[in-house]
Amino acid sequence: MIEVRNLTKRYGNHIAVEDLNFKIEQGRIYGFLGPNGAGKSTTMNIMTGYLAPSAGDVLIDGVSIVDMPEKAKAQIGYLPEMPPLYMDMTVREYLSFAAELRKVPHRKSRERCDAVMADLSLNECADRLIRNLSKGFRQRVGLAQALVHEPEILILDEPMVGLDPKQIIEIRELIRNLGKKHTVILSSHILAEVSEICDTLLILSGGKLKAVGSPAELSREQSGTVVVTVTSPAEKEKLLAALSPKLAKGKVHLSSDPDGLVRAEITLGEENFKNNPDLASDPRRFVSNLLAQSSCPYYSVEVMASSLEKIFLDLTGEKGEPDKKPKNGKEAENGSSL
Amino acid sequence: MGAVYKKELRSSFTTMTGPVAIAVMLFIAGYMFRTYNLANGLSSVIYAVFNSSLIFYFVVPILSMRVFAEERRQRTDQMLFTAPVHLIEIILGKYFALVSVFAVPVLVLCTMPVVLRPLGGSTPALDYAGILVFFLMGCAYLSVGMFISTLTENLIVSAILNILFVAVTMMIHNAYSMISGTVFTSMVFFVVLSILIGIAVYAMTGFYWLSLGVLTVLAAVSLILSYMESEFITGSAEKVLGILDFYSHFESFVYETFSLTDIVYFISAIAVGIVLTHTSIVRRRWN
Repeated sequence: MIEVRNLTKRYGNHIAVEDLNFKIEQGRIYGFLGPNGAGKSTTMNIMTGYLAPSAGDVLIDGVSIVDMPEKAKAQIGYLPEMPPLYMDMTVREYLSFAAELRKVPHRKSRERCDAVMADLSLNECADRLIRNLSKGFRQRVGLAQALVHEPEILILDEPMVGLDPKQIIEIRELIRNLGKKHTVILSSHILAEVSEICDTLLILSGGKLKAVGSPAELSREQSGTVVVTVTSPAEKEKLLAALSPKLAKGKVHLSSDPDGLVRAEITLGEENFKNNPDLASDPRRFVSNLLAQSSCPYYSVEVMASSLEKIFLDLTGEKGEPDKKPKNGKEAENGSSL
Repeated sequence: MGAVYKKELRSSFTTMTGPVAIAVMLFIAGYMFRTYNLANGLSSVIYAVFNSSLIFYFVVPILSMRVFAEERRQRTDQMLFTAPVHLIEIILGKYFALVSVFAVPVLVLCTMPVVLRPLGGSTPALDYAGILVFFLMGCAYLSVGMFISTLTENLIVSAILNILFVAVTMMIHNAYSMISGTVFTSMVFFVVLSILIGIAVYAMTGFYWLSLGVLTVLAAVSLILSYMESEFITGSAEKVLGILDFYSHFESFVYETFSLTDIVYFISAIAVGIVLTHTSIVRRRWN
């Protein structure tokens, strides 16, 4: 679907993105993850044809965005970090402009605008000026303009920044639904946000691609183990009985939390994955199937975020570094005198 | 192109820029028409039109300062430049929208000879030729103004640069004798020009040594020429200044000489403005 080849972008002497290579498959949700300044936005801007690469190429369905930009861009819907909104237009005017700009046939334009407004619950503000909309609605209008021409690929740069928790949940739900029909690539610097909705994570740091894989794969590759946590209202014995036959070699650690729920931490190592491809590809599904088969009730099955967080910090090289340095010379002086 | 054109035209009228620009033009042109034709009884509107060129100081910055600067400031350029549309379509869409707004008061100017006819107006051909050149001159300003708006995302800077450009092109004919009068001033002029070209080369390519080389060679050539061919250098100074001289190309129409050269001159200026706009945007994508 998308192939990024040896992509490099230099600004003067500063290298924003260096020799990036990856492939994006159809119908999945991808997440670019990395600290601020990792090159996420630059990469997205190049993939959408806004910036030209210093070297390398991006192929959209085999069409180069550098050589045949018009053809390649037609497949993409892009929501930049700051939604590109014309404040003096109403939502409907803006969307029909977006449709016309993206060459949606005139007779279909109205129908498409109505459809995206319905999908994103924008009907109530169709005739309001964008200037007067709240941040959450503006973000949705931005998403609507990216969807209006029914692109195969959706590229969303930090779609959840600056939204309140309720809006974040709504947008997340929306992206998950979009992921069923479109190939979605989104970026974020917040791990929890991406690991929850993305099938595959691409971890970027300092303009380089550090790792690619599903959250579980990454966890396995980097630390050799995956920790799956289960919370269940069932008794400890029942839970253990449901889990242990298939996961005998995995270490199951049980504890009760104050609400009377049982919490099981299952540490899965290489020996578990070797003979069990289902478990290796998606540990969460495997464990929840296991529980369902033995009719053991459960509230949640999750790949533990803290293990992912550790990997993220290891990969992006941020671990522990900033805290050790004193903030300024004065503090250091005080420290030595004490 | 149609989508961008329609959007620009609509936004000219939903914001104040279009109406303000048109009002300023109609006010000044109307005042000139009243003074020259109605009060003083001149039978040709050419003087009124010629003196209306004062309009450009106000109208060019109002109309063209925001064209690309505002898009860049609001980051809406990301939407335009990632759409499956050729860059030149976006530029032309915007340019034609500017020209359309400017055409409204020019159409009103076209009624002036009609009004004068029963009062003894006798030179409609000359009048309309004058209005045509006035229109082309405005189009040339708007085209260069559009280029200027790609250089910055600050509207004030864009407006000031636009006014400066109008001022230089309207007044440079006064500076001819001052600059090309002696060999020394011509030489200084060419050295300064070499430095400016050197800076421009650096801004375009980013190669320090290349621009320094270009600068040195050009400056050396002008120094050598001013010792060996003093007549050539004073003549060339005038020619180079003439490139920017919008005023004189317009003025010739006042003396009732229809000159195709001047029309070609303004059309070339329009083309240069559009090409520069294109180059400037493409260059920013690559840097």
